[in-house]
Amino acid sequence: MNRLTPSTRKVVRFLALLTAAFVLAACADNAPLDTRGDNLQGPEARDIESFLRWVLWIAYAVFFAVLGVTLYAWKNFRIKTEDYEDDEFPEQISHNNTLEIAWTAAPAILLAIIAIFTIGLHQSLNSNSENPITLDVADGAGGATTVEWEPEIVVVGQQWWWEYQYHFGDVDLVAQRVETLPNADITTATQMVIPVGMEIELEITSRDVIHSHWIPSLNGKRDAVPGRQSAPWKIQADEPGVYFGQCTEFCGLSHSRMRMQVVALPEAEFQEWVTAQMQGLELSPETAAYVAELEAGATVPPANAEQRAIDTFRTKCASCHVLDGVTDGIVARPEEQLVSGAAPNLTHFATRTTFAGGIRNVYETDTGEFNRNDIAQWLRDPASIKANFTEPVSETDSRLRGMPNLGLTTEEVDDLVSLLEMTAPQEGEFEMFEFIIEETGVE
Amino acid sequence: MAIIDRPLAIGAGDDAVETVDRPLGSITRPQESGTWRDWLTTVDHKKIGIMYGAAAMFFFVIGGAEALLIRLQLATPNGTLLSPEVYNQVFTMHGVTMIFLVAMPMGAAFANYLLPLQIGARDVAFPRLNALSFWVFLFGGLFLNSAWLLGGGADGGWFNYAPNSTVTFSPSHGIDFYALGLQITGVASLVGAINLITTVLNMRPKGMTLMRMPIFTWMNLVVQFLLLFAVPVISVALFELTFDRLFDANFFNTEAGADPLLWQHLFWIFGHPEVYILILPSFGIVSEVIPVFSRKPIFGYSFMVASGVAIGFMGWGVWAHHMFVSGIGPISVAAFSLSTMFIAVPTGVKILNWLATIWGGKLRFNTAMLFAVGVVSMFTIGGLSGVTHSIAPADTQQTDTYYIVAHFHYVIFGGTLLGFFSGFYFWWPKMFGYKLNEKLGKTNFWLQIVGFNVTFGPMHILGLQGMSRRIDTYDAGFGFEFWNLVATVGAFIIALGIAFFFVNVAVSRRQWIAAGKPNPGPDPWDARSLEWMTASPTPIHNFDEEITVDAPDEFWHRKYGYDTEGNVVRKATAEEVAQDGSNTNVHLPSPSYFPILLALSMPIISYGLIYSLWLCIPGGMLLVYSMVGWIFEHPDDPNAAHDDHGHDDHGDAPDELAAGDDEGELVGVGAGAPETEATNG
Repeated sequence: MNRLTPSTRKVVRFLALLTAAFVLAACADNAPLDTRGDNLQGPEARDIESFLRWVLWIAYAVFFAVLGVTLYAWKNFRIKTEDYEDDEFPEQISHNNTLEIAWTAAPAILLAIIAIFTIGLHQSLNSNSENPITLDVADGAGGATTVEWEPEIVVVGQQWWWEYQYHFGDVDLVAQRVETLPNADITTATQMVIPVGMEIELEITSRDVIHSHWIPSLNGKRDAVPGRQSAPWKIQADEPGVYFGQCTEFCGLSHSRMRMQVVALPEAEFQEWVTAQMQGLELSPETAAYVAELEAGATVPPANAEQRAIDTFRTKCASCHVLDGVTDGIVARPEEQLVSGAAPNLTHFATRTTFAGGIRNVYETDTGEFNRNDIAQWLRDPASIKANFTEPVSETDSRLRGMPNLGLTTEEVDDLVSLLEMTAPQEGEFEMFEFIIEETGVE
Repeated sequence: MAIIDRPLAIGAGDDAVETVDRPLGSITRPQESGTWRDWLTTVDHKKIGIMYGAAAMFFFVIGGAEALLIRLQLATPNGTLLSPEVYNQVFTMHGVTMIFLVAMPMGAAFANYLLPLQIGARDVAFPRLNALSFWVFLFGGLFLNSAWLLGGGADGGWFNYAPNSTVTFSPSHGIDFYALGLQITGVASLVGAINLITTVLNMRPKGMTLMRMPIFTWMNLVVQFLLLFAVPVISVALFELTFDRLFDANFFNTEAGADPLLWQHLFWIFGHPEVYILILPSFGIVSEVIPVFSRKPIFGYSFMVASGVAIGFMGWGVWAHHMFVSGIGPISVAAFSLSTMFIAVPTGVKILNWLATIWGGKLRFNTAMLFAVGVVSMFTIGGLSGVTHSIAPADTQQTDTYYIVAHFHYVIFGGTLLGFFSGFYFWWPKMFGYKLNEKLGKTNFWLQIVGFNVTFGPMHILGLQGMSRRIDTYDAGFGFEFWNLVATVGAFIIALGIAFFFVNVAVSRRQWIAAGKPNPGPDPWDARSLEWMTASPTPIHNFDEEITVDAPDEFWHRKYGYDTEGNVVRKATAEEVAQDGSNTNVHLPSPSYFPILLALSMPIISYGLIYSLWLCIPGGMLLVYSMVGWIFEHPDDPNAAHDDHGHDDHGDAPDELAAGDDEGELVGVGAGAPETEATNG
């Protein structure tokens, strides 16, 4: 019995193979949410990983010591019979207080050392440095102005997508609940754009249930708690790129489909993005006139597909969604329609490369073409892409959770997709857009 | 059943004549019938323990089936086996079932069966309350699972964070079943805790000081104290949730200004001690099994006890490590990060003491020992990954990923469940009179431990790769495909291993019957503690006579001594030392209808709260009836055959009953007389 039996040998061989597979998989790439190795692009995430790595080495050492002692005992102290002989006694050692005190103190000391470094790292993750950047922004009256922007973004979770608000004015974001914040200068969804190499402070909160905002390659996560602003959390990206995230606090039906991305751009491109985001949709003079007539309350039959789309948008979408330049006279009241009380602002829909809570791409990653198919499918039947509740909450509460199926005709869907395509950046307006489209592909 | 008569005044003198036809109170206590009906009215801690175990096994099969569904859904990207709606219910109910309906009651099964035996007592302090605990737990568990048939299970996760648990976000009744079902099982835990604490503290025999108690008893004592203080906390939270959902209260309504972190704090102040409630019974089992199969005393008994008690205390100061990313503020996070780190110290002490016990021993690696040693290694992995979470900055990357799923399965499966299996193989002959088959047992062990590591090992990697928990599916391209498939294969290996356990029970039992039911003797393993000092299976009255204890491992010291050179020599055989269970002259607490009736009223009331308050009226009436009947129930069955010990009549007062027994009957097993306890129970 001292030698391995064939069956035991098989087990050992299997375990060896398994270990080898573990080691191989530990080097797997193609994991855009990975918290380790090359996927890390932010100093916070890297600090966390390098600290964890050496704690893991200690953990491996402890585990293999325990396993080693057990296996040694199994090999050397095992007896073969089922029952003991009467005189078959090991030395009856019942205690050794020196040893006990030693192995109580040793882990305590080891943990105390880990604790010291933990507190240091914790401290640095929770401190913020001040480094404002200068931005040219629209002043709201058609002109331009320059602001000092302390990079700070309000992150709002709701079932099942993320909203990002940029406030360039002098607003104390930390002290305010999301419901009481003034209108943001830029409101975007699912894709947060940040300047590269700069610490960004995130004020994270929620409109409905608890969510958690997590961009693993940049930093750990922080919960979005309704009615509270979390203590500030920060992210920083070293390289331009697209960084993936996933809601990590269970938030109901489509929790698994609540994703987000961070797009890091060099400062100049970030400025371009800001400028573009602060403009409304540019319409042809005829269409602008058409919209103006609608705003004035006139009933005008649409003259072309574009005007048809605007008409459809105003009647079917504008009760929740904003499209600057098209829905200006309509006050969207998503709070009456949706439990979360918010729907994505679509003014710059096609400047983003992902939609439907970050699970579909706005552009085909291989061709760069506008992804009409997926967007049309989303408009036709949202639940086929992202599960949601198509029924109202209850008999007394008619609010919905998620984008409803509006029963749009094929023509309406087609018109709306074209309207959304119009929100894309114009030729030469946004140099890095191609790069973002490419980076958005997960594969 | 009879009407409730006005009870006769106690001690009213000779006028108050109590006869067989007209017992004190009105309900004639049920009598042993020798059929399955005995199990419904039994107050015997052994029968109750076995029922606890059987019920926990039943729920284990349900929870296991849910686990397999989860793994099938996640085996490949974009799985479509379960809709998101159903998946959310399945993972919620898997967690709730495994924790509240498997791990906790399985611990209660062992505690119920063994605690009185290990301290040499006749029964628990309050036998009827003990029956109540079991029935309340069983009905609570069935109530909870009945949600599946009534529109779907809870869908908020076992942790059920507010405000996702409010009616707005979960309009179906699933979470109502969760809140009320756990409230009911909480009653079971509380009643059990009070009962077992009283038992351990009051019913030890002469000489069994606290520091001579077996470690299993010690660990369970700690567990019962944890339950006693932890369950009320979740009860409060569940009441608030129930009132929010059913009566429009605003405890967790953020629109009305509620702070959803209130739920998190309440849940985890319960939830973290709960982790130790789950693991300490297993630590106790391992501490019994390893010395027996090493033929050595447990190394560092006092440190083992002290570390268990230390875990019990420190377990209260670490709850907010579940909330490191909830935004509770950096100072709180730092404090809880440190406290969590240092709870690893007493746990580490236990691991090292087990290793020291094995070291230099004569090791018999039978199935019970394999499982016990498996706990030592596997729990170490869970403990070490726990240390990596206690580092708050690292936890911001790990929490709510599969790394956490891996961690707590290494603790609860690798620690708790493997420990229970060790206990099954170890105490099976004591409970049922036959050993389980070793060959099948070892197959059971190896399949289980390999399957376990194949399932949960890869989850560490998945978590570090960024796979979130509680997601019903994932897309290709995130690097999650391979290890998810491996984990699914592992889950089925575990299922096969568990199947071998059931096969083993069936086969071993059949072989035993075919062999003419040979008795394994009182002490089939050459064991150390008092439960082995009586016949197998344990006779109904446990012990023939009271045991006086002179040392820890009393039974071992009666079998063995030391010669002048300090070598161990046998003084007596187990058969010579052990009691043979032949004493028929023992007065036992009588069965009762009321525990099961009282328990039954709780789900009726709960269904009423959910569907129609009218149903609460019959439920409430049953509740009150059972309580009143319980109070006035005759302390003993007057029709039971007490002729053995020569009474013509029973005294009027319970204390007379207890004191009145004289000839031959054993009154004082433990510090309290069983009759007295039954009366008060």
